[in-house]
Amino acid sequence: MARIGVDVGGTNTDLVLECGQGVFYHKVPTTLKNQSIGVVEGVRGICRKAGIDPAEVEMIVHGTTTATNITIEHNGSECGMITTHGFRDILHIGRHKRPCNFSLHFDVPWQSQPLVKRRNRIAVRERILPPTGEIAEPLDEQAVRDACALFRKRGIGSVVIGFMFAFLNDAHERRAKEIVLEEMPDAYVTLSSEVANVMREYERFSTAAMNSYVGPKTARYLRDLDARLREAGVTSKLRIMQSNGGVSTVDACARRPIRILMSGPAGGVIGGASEGEMAGTPNIITVDIGGTSADVSTIPGGAVKIMNPRDTYVSGHPVLTPMIDLVTIGAGGGSVAHIDEAGAFHVGPRSAGSEPGPACYGRGGTEPTVTDAQIVLGRLDPDMALGGDLKLDPALSFKAVEERIARPLGMSVKDAALGIIRIVNNNMALAIRSNSVARGIDPREFSIMPFGGAGPLHGVALAEAMSARDVIVPVAPGITAAVGLLKTDLQYEHTEAVIVELMKAGPAEFQRINTAVANLRAAVQAELDGDGIPRAQQEITVLAECRYHGQGFELRATMPEGPVGAENRHVITDSFHDQHQQDYGYSYRDAEVELITLRAIGSASVPRIEIPKIAPTDGSSIDRALMFVRPTTFDDGRTLETPRYDRGRLMAGDQVPGPAILHQHNATTLVPPGYVAETLDYGNTRIRPIGA
Amino acid sequence: MNKMTKVSTAVDPITLQVIRGSLETIAEEMGHVLYRMSFSSIIRESQDLGAGLFDVDFNTLCESESTPMHIGSIPGYLRGIAETLEDGEWYEGDVVVHNHPYHGASHTPDLAIVVPVFFRGRLVGFAGNTAHHVDIGAATPGLIIDVPDVYAEGMLFAGTKLYRKGEPNNAMWNYIRRNSRAAGQLVADIEAQIASARLGARRFAELLDKYGEETVFAAANQLMDYAERMIRQRIGEIPDGDYVAEGWLDDDGRNRDRRLKVKVTVRVRGDEVEVDLTGSADQTPTAYNVPFEGSTKVAAYAGFRKLLLDAATSEVRVPSNEGSFRPIKVTAPLGSIFNPRPPASAEARFTQCNRMIDLIIRALAPVMPEQVIAGSSASISFAAYSGVRPSGDYWVFLEVNEGAYGGRPRSDGPDSIDNLMANTRNNPLEDLAMHIPMICDRYELRDDAPPGAGEFRGGIGVVKAQRVLTPAFITHESERHTEAPWGIFGGQDGAVGRCTITNPNRPGETREMHSKFSGLAVGPDDVMTYYSPNGGGYGDPLNRPAAKVLEDVLDGYCSVARAREVYGVVVDPEAETVDLAATEKLRLAMQKHD
Repeated sequence: MARIGVDVGGTNTDLVLECGQGVFYHKVPTTLKNQSIGVVEGVRGICRKAGIDPAEVEMIVHGTTTATNITIEHNGSECGMITTHGFRDILHIGRHKRPCNFSLHFDVPWQSQPLVKRRNRIAVRERILPPTGEIAEPLDEQAVRDACALFRKRGIGSVVIGFMFAFLNDAHERRAKEIVLEEMPDAYVTLSSEVANVMREYERFSTAAMNSYVGPKTARYLRDLDARLREAGVTSKLRIMQSNGGVSTVDACARRPIRILMSGPAGGVIGGASEGEMAGTPNIITVDIGGTSADVSTIPGGAVKIMNPRDTYVSGHPVLTPMIDLVTIGAGGGSVAHIDEAGAFHVGPRSAGSEPGPACYGRGGTEPTVTDAQIVLGRLDPDMALGGDLKLDPALSFKAVEERIARPLGMSVKDAALGIIRIVNNNMALAIRSNSVARGIDPREFSIMPFGGAGPLHGVALAEAMSARDVIVPVAPGITAAVGLLKTDLQYEHTEAVIVELMKAGPAEFQRINTAVANLRAAVQAELDGDGIPRAQQEITVLAECRYHGQGFELRATMPEGPVGAENRHVITDSFHDQHQQDYGYSYRDAEVELITLRAIGSASVPRIEIPKIAPTDGSSIDRALMFVRPTTFDDGRTLETPRYDRGRLMAGDQVPGPAILHQHNATTLVPPGYVAETLDYGNTRIRPIGA
Repeated sequence: MNKMTKVSTAVDPITLQVIRGSLETIAEEMGHVLYRMSFSSIIRESQDLGAGLFDVDFNTLCESESTPMHIGSIPGYLRGIAETLEDGEWYEGDVVVHNHPYHGASHTPDLAIVVPVFFRGRLVGFAGNTAHHVDIGAATPGLIIDVPDVYAEGMLFAGTKLYRKGEPNNAMWNYIRRNSRAAGQLVADIEAQIASARLGARRFAELLDKYGEETVFAAANQLMDYAERMIRQRIGEIPDGDYVAEGWLDDDGRNRDRRLKVKVTVRVRGDEVEVDLTGSADQTPTAYNVPFEGSTKVAAYAGFRKLLLDAATSEVRVPSNEGSFRPIKVTAPLGSIFNPRPPASAEARFTQCNRMIDLIIRALAPVMPEQVIAGSSASISFAAYSGVRPSGDYWVFLEVNEGAYGGRPRSDGPDSIDNLMANTRNNPLEDLAMHIPMICDRYELRDDAPPGAGEFRGGIGVVKAQRVLTPAFITHESERHTEAPWGIFGGQDGAVGRCTITNPNRPGETREMHSKFSGLAVGPDDVMTYYSPNGGGYGDPLNRPAAKVLEDVLDGYCSVARAREVYGVVVDPEAETVDLAATEKLRLAMQKHD
């Protein structure tokens, strides 16, 4: 019995395997054109490493950027859309707000890179009326057939159906789908009422269009991967990480690829949450630092937060689907430091990427990056990158920092390098702030958890900037996201728009709510049944998304146990008032609370990876882990002779006082003077001020 | 204030960036709380608001990136409050409401809420915001145009304390509650503004605590100097000279036969510039005037910021503060449409501002061909729909409709999008129809008139048809029914705007409306349809690649006949291809003809 987590990043594909023999880690280059080649290669490799037959693997959990990359590279399917007469251009107009206030030359992504070109958006006669959803004009079925003929002529195989007020009555969308499938039996069809059965036409249509845009290619990728794994003798179940942090099946994701648009970063957040649990620290802020960007997520009480669907955008298009609440900023090891024409000092968001990469890579890059600053400061040992697998040239780093920053600003190279680090740390701290303090989270009660290979170099500085409690460095910072894949549950969500003013509601309204709840539960249950999850192991939660009557934004409120009625509606309204108070610092206790959407979330736990504990310290000196000593410059400007320790040789309970650097194959951890790093039970590390 | 600030402490560039980031985060947080909490769609959906922090000299320290008309307007309010403040002084725990157009306000519906920030017992600055309110008890519901004077605009607040030393001024709250057709929304939205301002004040004090007062204010001054340097460099690149452009506004909303001139003279001297509006129309007898401090100046500054510090083409973003205003002087004679004398009303001021910016761009076109764009819609459609429910309560709905941009030196003008000074979000049509007795019949790109042809075509305006289900009143503030957006460098003019009233039960009867009308009573199923102007073209249409013309034909932006006649491109609509040989021949013949 073995399980594999495989996380595909921009540069590397990371794998983790758990089996009777223990836990194994492996890394192979990402195959950008078709990620499945690298994935299969990696699966074979890690099985060899563990000495097991691929057939012994019971489950593979996969985090993929395939769907995301389609949206970034704009190479999704040519789509056709069938929509309501009079509303052909909802996708083109969007919310009519420009991306920039002060610009004449701005780009409008939904117009310059449309999900469906105007020529393929066909408006047909039909009309459903609010507020009841009555049919005022029947669907013009012939017009739907004519649209299909045009799509066939143009070689289009992916179709979006989005009608106005379909959230009140989906009969026309369903009938149009039947017709499309008669006319185009192989078409990939998405209904707006299937993917986001909620009010607000633009966001609903955009979600459906995105699904049809990424759908065929993503489905092909997932099925291809499945087939290649079978060919390689892997008979395991394949599960895909979704944006909401739960895993799902290949079939479900092929039908609803919008659910995996954030599959990549989700694994990191889940991995971080479980590392928090392993360290006995439920309140953590994860900072996943890569080459070009950093993903920040706040996890209070061990619970990963899901974004308000009103805030979920992918490549400039709204996509109403549950996503882990994280912010991504353009700050990473490859972020370029530069000085603008009026003399201001910036780091990022532009990145040197992997080509040419940081100056020290010697691939022609002349601009200094964050990695170059780390080298200049002696925090990254150029001969130790990836355990020595990647050779770096410190002279090139020095030259880049000197010529581009130090000389123009009239400061020393050391101060310039410190400045680069300070600015990039500040940018990250601001992102952390927007994801924490800005929402009423007090960072003094939280630990910063930095990961990604270079993440733990920034941990203490970020904790200081945020006044966070301490820093927890995961067991394997370079591979935390892959580990996260083996720590997640199956999860499905369904929504239904039920618009009811709760304090005015009578028996008819309660009946509507209770019927919707029953339907939603049944829908979620059917998905879990389909995965072969016994009913007893299924966990289903229903949430009420509410707002004050007249507001525009919903917050999530708790539903009472059992049916809703006049006697227990206050459970919903009370929790809504409290949530409003918490989020905005104010609540209108006398105002009417309006239910807008009901959401059912169904989950089932899967067995989680067991990270083995390491041996407790035998009382011997930490010198057993000492590798060498080199000068290193810290944030206060002091350059100190700093010992390097092999993190793998430290034992639980060992205390390493700063200044120190902890080395391991995939990561480097910086322990500044005044701090102490304590090795915890699993080989994870807590860094805190000495005496704290 | 027209010179570089003297800074005692020089803040190092790193701390400077840290403080800048913190200030910007606070402003965004203030804006976020305000629109998320608010009840009226004009604030929560359109985000017609602004929020920021200010020093005791009313300099902007930071401001939220919400809608441009609010950005840079709050210092005018602060100066007006200083003239009118109740008690003559600030106390800790005060909350002031202010909207007087002759005391610095942008216009009356934009209420400012300001709280003083005290640090260690001393007044050190202000946290404030502005937001557009649905109804403040003016002569007609929601919006006004044809009114006699400023007193018809509704409640006027000047330095009025809603809280004094933390205690609510209940008489004032009761007064407000009794004097609006949408009192519930007005009061709840003021409460949202207060929550946002108090949050800003708290964050401001935390920042001072962390970095020290001297460092924070020194950093703020340095950031202003930085913004000033950036814009001076850009102004310095424009050749010295006087650049002039003129245009005509339709009318003042009452006197239909009198067009109103807008004349813009841009005087560039070294690294300074003056926008002189002398020669523009006299002030009007209606509400169609622009408050000078709170709107005319703000719009002129914003125009230069778009033109010279374009956020999309600049690698760095210049902070939102007073620095970028310092080298820009704005002149408008007292008594003119851009600087009215009291008691003229000055509520309907948006389209004049947008046209001024459009003309600044036009004036500078000869010397900045790579930065300017062709003429945009440069108007707005601001509609107030209202009616009385069976309960006797009013419903009032304000809608901002979009425009279109002119063609640009490297790309087509964006279609159906908020233009120049406007940058709001539309109301979801489904949300609207679930809550008020209206329904939208059509929301699409215009297809009754083409956009201005050019190598880069103008943007396509919107057509929006809103039907009322019960008797209602409509007031509509719009422009540009008579003068189409201009094409440039060989590009053709766009199309004028249009507004009609129809009723599906009386097909064939179409009332062509003026661009501005007030308090029009309409009946059930009456439909107001608004067509926004289409943008002008940039460059010679014959230089537009044939493949792009084909795309336009396929997407319905251009007919097969127009492709041939204007662009010289021969399209086969059945095969969906261009006849390249015929096109080459035709274009050659058309060029010779020129």
